[in-house]
Amino acid sequence: MSANSGAPLVKVCDLRKRFGQNEVLRGVDLDVTRGEVVSVIGASGSGKTTMLRCVNLLETYDSGSIMVDGVEVGYSGEGPARRRRGERELARIRADIGMVFQLFNLFPHLTARENVMLGLRKVRRLGYREARDIADRWLARVGLADKRDSLPYELSGGQQQRVGIARAVAMNPKVLLLDEITSALDPELVGEVLNVVRELAADGMTMLLVTHEMSFARDVSARVVFMDAGRVAVQGTPREVFGGQPHERLRSFLARIEMRH
Amino acid sequence: MMVMVKALPFLWQGLLVTLQISAIVVAIALVLGVLFGTALTYAPRWVAWPVRAYSDIARGLPLITLIFFVYYAMPALKVNVSGWWAAVSALAAFETAHVSEVTRGALQSIHPGQTEAGRAIGLSFEQRMLYVIFPQALRRFLPPWINTVVDTVKGSALVSLVGIVDLMLAVQQVIGRTFQPLPLYVLGAAIYFVINYTLSQLSRRLEARFAYVRE
Amino acid sequence: MSYHLNFAAVWRNFGRLGWGLALSLELAAIGIAAGVIIGLALALFAQGRGRVVRTLIAAYVEFIRNVPLLLLVYLVFYGIPSVGGFAYSATTSFVVTLSIYAGAYLVEVFRAGLDAIPRGLIDAGRAIGLTPWQRMAYVQTPTMLRIVLPSLSNAFISLFKDTAIASVIAVPELTYGANWISTNTFRIIEVYSVVTPMYLVTGWTLLLLLRQLERRFALRRA
Repeated sequence: MSANSGAPLVKVCDLRKRFGQNEVLRGVDLDVTRGEVVSVIGASGSGKTTMLRCVNLLETYDSGSIMVDGVEVGYSGEGPARRRRGERELARIRADIGMVFQLFNLFPHLTARENVMLGLRKVRRLGYREARDIADRWLARVGLADKRDSLPYELSGGQQQRVGIARAVAMNPKVLLLDEITSALDPELVGEVLNVVRELAADGMTMLLVTHEMSFARDVSARVVFMDAGRVAVQGTPREVFGGQPHERLRSFLARIEMRH
Repeated sequence: MMVMVKALPFLWQGLLVTLQISAIVVAIALVLGVLFGTALTYAPRWVAWPVRAYSDIARGLPLITLIFFVYYAMPALKVNVSGWWAAVSALAAFETAHVSEVTRGALQSIHPGQTEAGRAIGLSFEQRMLYVIFPQALRRFLPPWINTVVDTVKGSALVSLVGIVDLMLAVQQVIGRTFQPLPLYVLGAAIYFVINYTLSQLSRRLEARFAYVRE
Repeated sequence: MSYHLNFAAVWRNFGRLGWGLALSLELAAIGIAAGVIIGLALALFAQGRGRVVRTLIAAYVEFIRNVPLLLLVYLVFYGIPSVGGFAYSATTSFVVTLSIYAGAYLVEVFRAGLDAIPRGLIDAGRAIGLTPWQRMAYVQTPTMLRIVLPSLSNAFISLFKDTAIASVIAVPELTYGANWISTNTFRIIEVYSVVTPMYLVTGWTLLLLLRQLERRFALRRA
């Protein structure tokens, strides 16, 4: 499908960004290979969410590069001809990157089915019937077949988030970005959402997740990345990262999380 | 009270002029106002700034002053527009500014997450506006917009001051002939009342209906 | 095709504009004061009364809000004296009209303000044994006034602009002054290019001043 099947699907190189005086990303390097699930953990302010939102250009980055399937997302051209991509180019690139949001961001005026169909019809340009069938299939996959015609306000948080997941994956993205998707959910609803993500991972979806759910990160990821002060501080397999760490900041971060559970 | 009944045919003519002017101004203000309001919310600074300046000036002046200015300044500047168009343009400029504010308010009330979700699935700016933003903004737009329509009908009475024979001037002309100011002013007020009250009730109905859901 | 700008005529007659502006502000001030009295009285009176009272007050509000101010001005200035047999000055009549006009808008503002008072405050008043009268006077009204301050500021600025209508019955406020100068000197562009900034600057200054006042006194709703 893509030119280099061996190369990482997502390659983040020396990513830097500042908000005014605040240097939020100070040279982030991160790779995600096809079919891999990578979790990013870290304290708030570590830059993990900003980094994630740079991958589909919901945030711009100042320097460095992010390549998704061989294409630089934020800029086109080489050397002196390098310039920021315009909205139209970005829309095309974003069509292949899926994102699920912490606050769901479902379109409140559309039913669950219509929420999933919108991208299929307007971006993938599929016909009504085809789009509807794909949407229905994905809604069934996430366990909401009977809620197809419900409006978002009629759904629980967990149900809304599952619709959000369906909306993102129905577009058949190359990589799925998940931005703290359970942080805004009541505790008893977290499980249903994580189960859906678990299944997607098992089916081979490439995913980059920012999460606070440590046990989930441990279960489902091939690799865990700990970010601190705008950089990747530690990365490795879940066992390496969670199982007794020489890195001090990571240790104190994990201790704080443990105390809350 | 006979005088009120006899006046009706004359007032009817005036009413038609009032309605005609109101309709034209509402239409212009709707198209331009929504355009400007969208520009105020989304356009780059060099576009939004002049629109902001226009909106603030047009709303910062009393409508009557604006009408006088446009009506008398046109011939002074040797611009050849009829008095009718001068007055109507002034009213339209005023209402456009208000509609643009209403539009801006409606668009800005949409949660930024909606724009993000639209972008994330690859929708272009126009697609986001059409399928995500405007449908949601509509319900926050309609009730205050109807209020601007009511203001337009009330504001149209000011064109009587530059000689356009609308309902207001028709009332005064009848008074000039019959010397019965009170019953005729009351009758004129009643007619304006009926039109505007209907509109504002519609606005209230819509507001109630649209309050069905919100986080 | 040339039009030579000549501001001398405007500056010679600037008194009409300056004093006109002052009169506009005065009229607006009296209007808001009277409007507050009327609006507050009616809003308080309407609390807890039956449907008849509320309907009458609503009728007053709806009538004023749906009829052009111009018509109301004429009605009060020409219409009422014709049956009353008395006459009053243009300024007096305009003040009466503006007060009635402001009152109608402010009744709604105060009603909404009273409704916005957190239930807890009233319960607290009850709990310490205040009578309904005392609660209204010491708890509800002061709280409500703080809540409605922003609306009152906006109303005042609107009234300031509405005073321009007084020019049609020859009240010597700012717009009347502008018209006088333009008909007597034909310097229309010059006059309006002075009067426009006068309205705008006054409006913005009022806005700034009132914002300062709000910051000190207004209650933010939780």
